Formats: sequence, structure tokens, C-alpha cells
Amino acid sequence: MNHAVLTVEALSHVYPNGFQALKDLNFQVRQGEFVALIGQNGAGKTTLAKHFNGLLRPSSGRIRIYGKETRGQKVSSLARTVGFVFQNPDHQIFHDTVAKEAAFGPRNLGFEEPEVKNRVKAALQAVGLEKRAEDSPQGLSRGERQRLALASVLAMETEIIVLDEPTTGQDQTEALEMMDLLGELNRKGHTILFITHDMALVARYAQRVLVLCEGTLLLDGSVDTVFAQPDVLSRTLVEPPQIIQLASRLGLQHILTPEDLVAELLPRRVAL
Amino acid sequence: MIEQTALMDIENLIFYYPQGQRPALNDVSFRVREGEFIGICGPAGAGKTTLSLCLNGIIPHAQAGRMAGSVSLRGVLLKEYTLPALSETIGYVFQDPETQMVSLTVEEEIAFGLENAGAAPSLIKERIREAVDAVGIDQLQNRSLKSLSGGQKQRVALASVLAMRPQVLVLDEPASELDPVGSRDFFQLLLQFNKALGMTIIIFEQKVDQLAPYLDRLLVLHEGCIAAAGRPNQVLADERVSGWGIRIPQVAEFAHVLAREAHFRLSEVPLTVEEGLSLIRQWKGKRL
Repeated sequence: MNHAVLTVEALSHVYPNGFQALKDLNFQVRQGEFVALIGQNGAGKTTLAKHFNGLLRPSSGRIRIYGKETRGQKVSSLARTVGFVFQNPDHQIFHDTVAKEAAFGPRNLGFEEPEVKNRVKAALQAVGLEKRAEDSPQGLSRGERQRLALASVLAMETEIIVLDEPTTGQDQTEALEMMDLLGELNRKGHTILFITHDMALVARYAQRVLVLCEGTLLLDGSVDTVFAQPDVLSRTLVEPPQIIQLASRLGLQHILTPEDLVAELLPRRVAL
Repeated sequence: MIEQTALMDIENLIFYYPQGQRPALNDVSFRVREGEFIGICGPAGAGKTTLSLCLNGIIPHAQAGRMAGSVSLRGVLLKEYTLPALSETIGYVFQDPETQMVSLTVEEEIAFGLENAGAAPSLIKERIREAVDAVGIDQLQNRSLKSLSGGQKQRVALASVLAMRPQVLVLDEPASELDPVGSRDFFQLLLQFNKALGMTIIIFEQKVDQLAPYLDRLLVLHEGCIAAAGRPNQVLADERVSGWGIRIPQVAEFAHVLAREAHFRLSEVPLTVEEGLSLIRQWKGKRL
């Protein structure tokens, strides 16, 4: 088993108005994992994610990144270890060209210009925006702006990437492009944790699912085992994707995608 | 025989934004019958928001650009109405509920349109009660808007539009901030208005996978044109539609894969788990 890169210990968070958003969370994320964080609106997903980049601090308990406690580390220093992509890309995009936007992070980390240039080039290439380097971010579609936000994070070359609803507001083509891209980054060794409401994407892409319910960890397991518990999931208003519901009505297990179900129903088909 | 007049008639609608090289809408025509529940979907940039603004009169009343063709309500062109008159007849719910909120409390927000229209205080009170009951926010009536969640705000926005008792309800991606169960509750609420009150509803939505089972008719916008239209089961059987980036129900996606692999033609796709089961039964029985 790989080593833990993120460790959450007895984490609680209480907002200034007294609302307790997180209650005694305990889990670890290991190097190279692809983790989905799900649960109904208000379950605490974004609150939890913001602890990984220091935008929020534990009210009690602690977070360790590569074993080192985040307490006392500045947001700017955490940015070197955890890349964070916001839900709305427009909250983090503020430069007038795509290339400048992607260069902001590494420049801020104090890298020399040639190194910044190399990183920007590689990051834009990774997200398929290399030809748009001199364009204004305003001319990009929502999906492209989301990929630019990811490129700015990639340019920091952090191994861990946390994304808050990376596909929201995008059409299906853009959403699948984003998820394919994350899959590729994961295969290259990035540890990825993403928040989503799209259970079909969870089933298709994630290896592990963390389910939050009113600030507590309701379930933690493989996609298969988590979606096999619809009654538990309903406590945080989550339903398994349609195809898993359909498979379970047919008494079939370990089906995650429409292709899986077709393969199950056409067993004697010779693989091409 | 006299053809029944459509409630809304959209004819050969073309619209260019100022400086737009290509038309945002390119010869769009369709009719809306009284009591219909219509969904309009399309990939990013297909013209959904532009079309929605043509249906409530903001285009051409308040948005610059070149427009050809026409939009009419009960035979009268929308451009013949004033915008205040239109806002009473065609209720419009914005994608971001905060865009339309002008007050501090839920009650004030719902009263706003009626006060503006000069309604008597007793009538306003009655309409507020009706509207909060209808959308299930009677507990929130005295709350400040700032204290509400995204889903609650969406319901307040809907209530303030319903309080005007519009003849048509147009919604632009009203569920974009809601989680899947929240969206489904919202769509079911709309279905209830449609069935119980006969309210005509036109909803622009990306979440076609969740919305499709409730609709009478689904229109697909693609590059400014209506590229497909009909019952959702039929429209989503067209393979081009998922190719355009429309989020179709997973069981419909399954039907496409099965038809391709098992070599049969689909004239309709299932939209719900139940319909998916019956497709599998049919296919196993008859080997379609």
C-alpha cells in the first residue's frame, strides 16, 4: 500500500455563527488515489476541501500533508503541496491572457522566467489549451476556463490536486473531457480528490468514495461497495447512478457503467 | 377547420448580438400549446439563454442586437407589449436566483412584483400565502434572503414569479445550484404545477438526464437551430443528441450501447430504471 499523503485526524470545524460543519472526521488519502467526495448540499464537502489549502483552519483536530501538520503553515506555503481548483473558475482567474494566468502560480513561488515558461507550456499542453496561450480567458467557454484553472494549478507541480465540482455548469462533452484529463493525471501519479454531485462520473472514474452527511463520514470505500448501500446513501440524499440501480434490479453486481451492463448481458461476445 | 391558436408562436427567429459574426439564433420556429411542459436543452453556446430572453421579451426590449422573425403570445407580438406587462404574463426564473432578488426578506421579495403592479394589500397577502404554500417554503416566510441556502433561494425566486400568476413560466437552468435530489424535487414541483394548475412551462436545462421523464416535449438547440424535437423518449434515441454533449439518462446511454452491440434499431430509449427494465425484458423476449 502506498504511503498516506493526506491525514485527517479528529477534524471538527465550527463556523463563527456557531454552525458545526464538520464533526470528528478521520481518514487518510494515500499516494496515487483517485477519490470522490460526495454528499448532499450542506454536508460539509467544500468546508472539508478548504482545510487542505488552508482557507479554513480546524476548530479542533488536525490535518497532516506528507506527515506535516498544516497548523502554522501559510496558505502560500500549502499551495506548494496541494493544488486547489475552485468550483467557479471565475473566482480564481484574473489575468488578461491564458499564459499569464497559468504563469501566476510558479512566478509567485519565485521560479526564474525560463522555468516559469516551461511549466506554463507543459500545463497548457496537458489541458489542451496550448493554442490559446495568448487569448483572453474571457473568450473561453466555461469548460475551457475550468481547464485553465486546472492548468494554473498544474503549473505549480503539486502532486496532490483537490477540485471542488470540476464539471458543474459544463455540458456532457466538456465534463467528460475534464474527467478524462483527471484520469490521465492520476495515471501519471497525481493524487486526486474531487467533489461532485454527478454519480455517473463517480462510478466511471473514481476508485474510492468518501460520503459526507451532516459533517460526518457516512461511508468510505470502493465505488462498488458504496453504491451497493442505497439505504445508507439516502441519509445524505444520494442515489446510486441509474445503471447501478438497473443492474441491482437484475441481481447483478460490480456493474459501474452502461458498457459494463451490456457486456454482462452479452456474455458470449468475442472481444475485439 | 380552424387550427387551434398556439399559446406562443416562435417563427423564423434570428438574432445577432452586436458585433456578433454568427447568429446566436438561426431560424428558430416552434409553437407552445396551452398546458404543455416543454424542455429545451443544448450544448454550451447553443443559444439557450438567448432563446429564453426572446421568450420573455428582454430581447428585443432591453438587449441590443439585430432580430428577425417573431415571438407572439396569443397572437400578439411580444414587442407590442411593454416589459412590465410581459413580466406579469410570462414569469421568468433566472439561472442565478440572486440576479432577480431585490428585497431583504422572503415575504418582501414575493410581494415585490405585486406591489409594483399596484395590487391591493389584501390581495398581496393572499397571493404570498398561496405562493409559499405552493413551493413549500411557508416556514421561511419571515427569514432574510441572505440566510437561505441555494435551493431555498431557488424556491423563493419561483414563488415570487408564481405570485404574479403568469400564463407561462419560463425557467433558465433553475436547478444548476441544486444537488441531484434537490433538482428532482424541483422538477417534480414544476410537474405538479403543470398537471394540477395546467400551467404552461418552458424550462431550459442541462440536466436532461433528470428532467426528461417529466416532459411532454423536448427541443434540442444546436448551433442556434432547433436540431431535434419531440417526445423525450424519441428525441434521445437520436444518436446525434448525445454526441452534442447533452447529458442523457444513463439508461438511455445503456440502450444506445446495447442496440449497437446487439445490432437492433432504437426508435425510443428508456428514461427511467423501470423503462430500462422493460427494454431488457423486450429484448430478451423478442431479441429485437
